[in-house]
Amino acid sequence: MTIVLILAVLFGLLLIGVPVAFALGGIGLGMLIFGGFSPLMAPQAILSTLDGFILLAVPLFLLMSNVLLKGGVGRDLFAAVQAWVGHWPGGLAVATILSCGLFAAISGSSVATAATIGTVAIPEMISRGYDKRFVYGLLAAGGTLGILIPPSIPMIVYGFVTEQSVIALFLAGIGPGIVLIVLFVAFAMLHARFSKAYEPMPKAGWSERAAASKRALPSLALALLVILGLYSGAFTPTEAAAIGFAAAILITTLWLRSLTWAAFWEAIKESAVTTVAILLIVAGAKVFGKAIALYRIPQDISAFIAQAIDGPLMFIIVVSLVLLLMGLVFEALSMILIMTPVLLPAAMGLGFDPIWFGIYMVIMVEVALITPPVGLNLYVIQSVARTTLANVACGVWPFLLLMLATVGLLYGMPDLALYIPFKW
Amino acid sequence: MQVPRSSTPYRQNDAKTGGPLHVGPPDLMLAGITQISRWAGFLAAILLALTGGMLTYEVIARYFFVRPTIWAAELSQLCLIWGCLLAMAYVMSTRRHITVNAVTSLLPQIAQKFCAGISLIFVIVFSLIVAIWGWDIFFDSFERGRTTGSLLNLPTWVAELSVPVGFALLALQSLVELIGLRRAAPYSLGSTHE
Repeated sequence: MTIVLILAVLFGLLLIGVPVAFALGGIGLGMLIFGGFSPLMAPQAILSTLDGFILLAVPLFLLMSNVLLKGGVGRDLFAAVQAWVGHWPGGLAVATILSCGLFAAISGSSVATAATIGTVAIPEMISRGYDKRFVYGLLAAGGTLGILIPPSIPMIVYGFVTEQSVIALFLAGIGPGIVLIVLFVAFAMLHARFSKAYEPMPKAGWSERAAASKRALPSLALALLVILGLYSGAFTPTEAAAIGFAAAILITTLWLRSLTWAAFWEAIKESAVTTVAILLIVAGAKVFGKAIALYRIPQDISAFIAQAIDGPLMFIIVVSLVLLLMGLVFEALSMILIMTPVLLPAAMGLGFDPIWFGIYMVIMVEVALITPPVGLNLYVIQSVARTTLANVACGVWPFLLLMLATVGLLYGMPDLALYIPFKW
Repeated sequence: MQVPRSSTPYRQNDAKTGGPLHVGPPDLMLAGITQISRWAGFLAAILLALTGGMLTYEVIARYFFVRPTIWAAELSQLCLIWGCLLAMAYVMSTRRHITVNAVTSLLPQIAQKFCAGISLIFVIVFSLIVAIWGWDIFFDSFERGRTTGSLLNLPTWVAELSVPVGFALLALQSLVELIGLRRAAPYSLGSTHE
């Protein structure tokens, strides 16, 4: 009964428009006070959250990708990939997916990935006669690579709240990320094969390829440095992010000469606002998490699930449905932060690996966000592409099925995620 | 879905006439609070960017000079704490806290205004309670002279002071926003994603 009441109040507050961070923190504080626990725990939980060294990686990865973004790296990446694969069947679509994948390796957000690549790729593809709905769907799907391929802000946050290794999570995202890229590319080429409407690109000459690659290479080297540095244990995620930020400044000032002072300050300001918006939700969720743990709610839910749900497959199906429902109104991070503390104990009780569960959550949350008729990321693509929601929703279906297939594959073959971090 | 962003949501134009408002002392005070939040926000942005410099230096010092610093990790942590809590009020004034707008955006204007009012009152009450209890934690550490026990051994109140300062500023800024609801203002308290 208490659980229902608490969730009802929480969702009520969220739906009337109380910012997520304060709704979570406020409910947590209220529960502490009503339960006769020390309300001092609320400010303490906020302080201890922001005192987490791993969370420093959030502003630093944001700074890195924002500096690269303001330096026009998105455009450069797309141009370089296009020079290499543009003449393939469906070449521009393939280039879009690959650019999303590469940009994902320097950015930790799906919205930023879709918006950056989208602003360059959408006009280009539409002018070459690609089906508009296909283009929108492609970007909605491509954007999801942003938080699956490391670095990933939702994974940092998941690792922080569940006390799991962020490096393991990052590495675990690579396998499913590559599967998704392959599936999307294959679909794009098949789609091109059967629709003759689009106009293929001429094959780029070697000098053109060299010129385009020269501008994109440093950013790719940076992405590689971050991943290899993490994999080898040379630096922590936070340090990797700091080096990434410093390197991003060097690349955009010395190599590309594209970063102005005004753009640099803009990148710093934007990163700060996003950092605060994200980390306050984490802090609010920590207060909430502490309170529900004191009320023993996760244990109750675990017990309930053990009783009512028959086996791991049923559990995953039910959780997926709940996430799809939440995706109507919540963004990725809020969903992960609200659901993880409630669900992870039950998931682990059913034998799921916490790293695997994190990767599943990240993919599933993205699926929820692009599921028609209403999903938050559909609005993002809609505003990037300046089109109607119906157009985006129509185009997204095939990609959604591919993503669900990947979730199924991940369920059947957990090693898809767990091989790289633990067995390689 | 995106809420129009303005740097000063405390609008200086009259909703009805479109002309400038009569600006009296109370209005100046409200504008003054918003200005303080802005400065706090800028300071926070600089603190957050500084962490990048400190940690890069740390890695270079460790690998190239084989002399890790004792201050980089701890000070950058401090920058993160102060940065986040100082900027809360600025982020509120620019309406960029992550908020669920899907339902309220379907409501008529008057209901949206009502929801925004309730939400702001909720934020004010929450912030005040956290600020007061946060002050207690700070004051206790300050009086007892507690230190972190780490390499730098800083007094713990240096970090703890950020809670009462940040949340008091947030409460004040939210009050400004609440009063600002009388005029034409964006009725949503935040954006749906970052």
